[in-house]
Amino acid sequence: MGATDVADTTTPSVVCSGLDIVYTVFGAKQKGTDTGGQVPLVERLLTKRNPVSSVRKVHAVKDVSFVVNHGEAVGIIGRNGSGKSTLLRAVAGLMPPTNGRVWASGRPSLLGVNAVLLTGLTGAKNVMIGGLALGLTPRQVRERYDDIVDFSGIGDFVNLPMSAYSSGMGARLRFAISTAAAPDILMIDEALATGDAEFQARSRDRIAEIRRDASTVFLVSHSNAAIRESCDRVLWMEQGRLVMDGPTDEVVRAYEQSHRRAPA
Amino acid sequence: MTIGSGSVVESVEAPEARTERARLTPEEAAALARRAGLEELGVRPGLLGYAREVWSYRHLVWHLSSAQAWATNQNNYLGQLWAVLNPLLLVGSYYLIFGLLLKTRGGTSNYIAFLTIGIFVFGYSASAIIAGSRAVVGQIGLVRALRFPRAVLPISVTLTQFLVNVPAFAVLMVMIPLTGEPFSPHWLLFPVALVFQSLINLGLAFYLARVVNTARDSANLVPVGVRLARYVSGVFFSIPHYAGYGLVSALLLYQPLAVSMTTAREALMDQYPLTWGSWVAAAAWGVALSVTGIVFFWRGEGRYGSN
Ligand SMILES: Nc1ncnc2c1ncn2[C@@H]1O[C@H](COP(=O)(O)OP(=O)(O)O)[C@@H](O)[C@H]1O
Ligand SMILES: [Mg+2]
Repeated sequence: MGATDVADTTTPSVVCSGLDIVYTVFGAKQKGTDTGGQVPLVERLLTKRNPVSSVRKVHAVKDVSFVVNHGEAVGIIGRNGSGKSTLLRAVAGLMPPTNGRVWASGRPSLLGVNAVLLTGLTGAKNVMIGGLALGLTPRQVRERYDDIVDFSGIGDFVNLPMSAYSSGMGARLRFAISTAAAPDILMIDEALATGDAEFQARSRDRIAEIRRDASTVFLVSHSNAAIRESCDRVLWMEQGRLVMDGPTDEVVRAYEQSHRRAPA
Repeated sequence: MTIGSGSVVESVEAPEARTERARLTPEEAAALARRAGLEELGVRPGLLGYAREVWSYRHLVWHLSSAQAWATNQNNYLGQLWAVLNPLLLVGSYYLIFGLLLKTRGGTSNYIAFLTIGIFVFGYSASAIIAGSRAVVGQIGLVRALRFPRAVLPISVTLTQFLVNVPAFAVLMVMIPLTGEPFSPHWLLFPVALVFQSLINLGLAFYLARVVNTARDSANLVPVGVRLARYVSGVFFSIPHYAGYGLVSALLLYQPLAVSMTTAREALMDQYPLTWGSWVAAAAWGVALSVTGIVFFWRGEGRYGSN
């Protein structure tokens, strides 16, 4: 789609401007206000704004802006709950922005730890459905089917429902499916952590290959070593805000120092 | 205890920040994206473009529907046999209750055929409506993992329910002659009746899927509504026989769910000759609901998966 003709390392592939994402959470019990029966019932009913239902807003991403170019590999680091996965979902076009705007080239493909495929269905059916949803034709999926299954290394399990897979097997299959479509933008959200060492080495090679095709890669990982190895730029998220954006070494060093200064 | 965010950004970033990394205004960002030919995410495409996009995902619809229809009955020992056993058991129990105990057979000459058609045809709509209302919220994992036009989901759910009900329709076609109905070329119209009914179901799925996505609580009302409809749509009694031929009866007879059963009975039963009224009503409901339904659903595109 046009974007690949002009693809060089100075044209942007993702532009994110003032992005806000707010989740609505249903069934949230407001534990913080419940002091275990010390507050009289009447008072509790009066202070609670809505005693019947409990809906809360979680502001997961706050005013994030950045520009990423073709061929860049960007790591995203930050504590649990800092909004890394949410940011990726928005850049993949899966979460509509609450505020702000996001532009991207081509078809982003997101690979999350819990990117649920259809667990009731077999791995083989998931390969077909995932491939079609990524924009392949049924014929292309069939042609690449053997490669996908080989790369995932799950063997005969491909004909069992995915509910029977270990988390590592599921992650391998998802990785194999997501990279089969040669996405313009590949996003990996902790999906490599559950694989074994051999699979991690192979997936690193696959990521390098995808970057050579001038695609953009986003990698969320809690392994700073993995980030150092694959990324040349890092975004550091903290409580939904982008606190630092720069070359890998600098940002990772600052992040590690912040642990020492403020042990969680 | 947390880092002072502002200071980190300034101290580390300022000296060697690349130009594009300096904070852009929204206008600059938009201009940059336009120059690079990027596509904005989370915005709704035009209606025609949307329809074209949905069409380009037809293979996904088919594979999603057939795989899920097959998986419906896979998690127990008798497996696909349940697809046939379930409707038979249902007919048996309804015959016991309504045919023998409550005696609602008035105005019908072949009550078993009347009841069987009612149960199977209504059963298809009931399951399609309930599943359709949850088409988006029930597949939130898929919605949050993969990008495709979300209209794929209600369409696929409707098709899944059709496929799940195919064995029941086959059972029906075996039972009809066994109940003493004479063979008739009108039977060939039964698939046509099913097409109109599927369009009606699809339209309702479009409407309900968006409503339930915005107002989640409404999902609890759908099964109640379906149960109510089961009792007023003439599944196990003849509407004109019990409600007469007035305005109320006409409203009851020509609402989409009742009309689906009327067309099926006119196709399959000797007692009910084909009438233009019911077939035109079924076709009109089907086209009107599915066309306005996809427009209604499309207007919510870009917001599915946001909560
Ligand atoms: N599906 C969801 N519904 C509601 N809140 C969510 C959902 N997913 C994440 N959140 C909230 O958004 C915030 C950021 O989460 P997330 O993006 O998953 O962080 P990270 O990936 O950095 O661990 C957290 O406070 C989390 O509770
Ligand atoms: Mg995460």
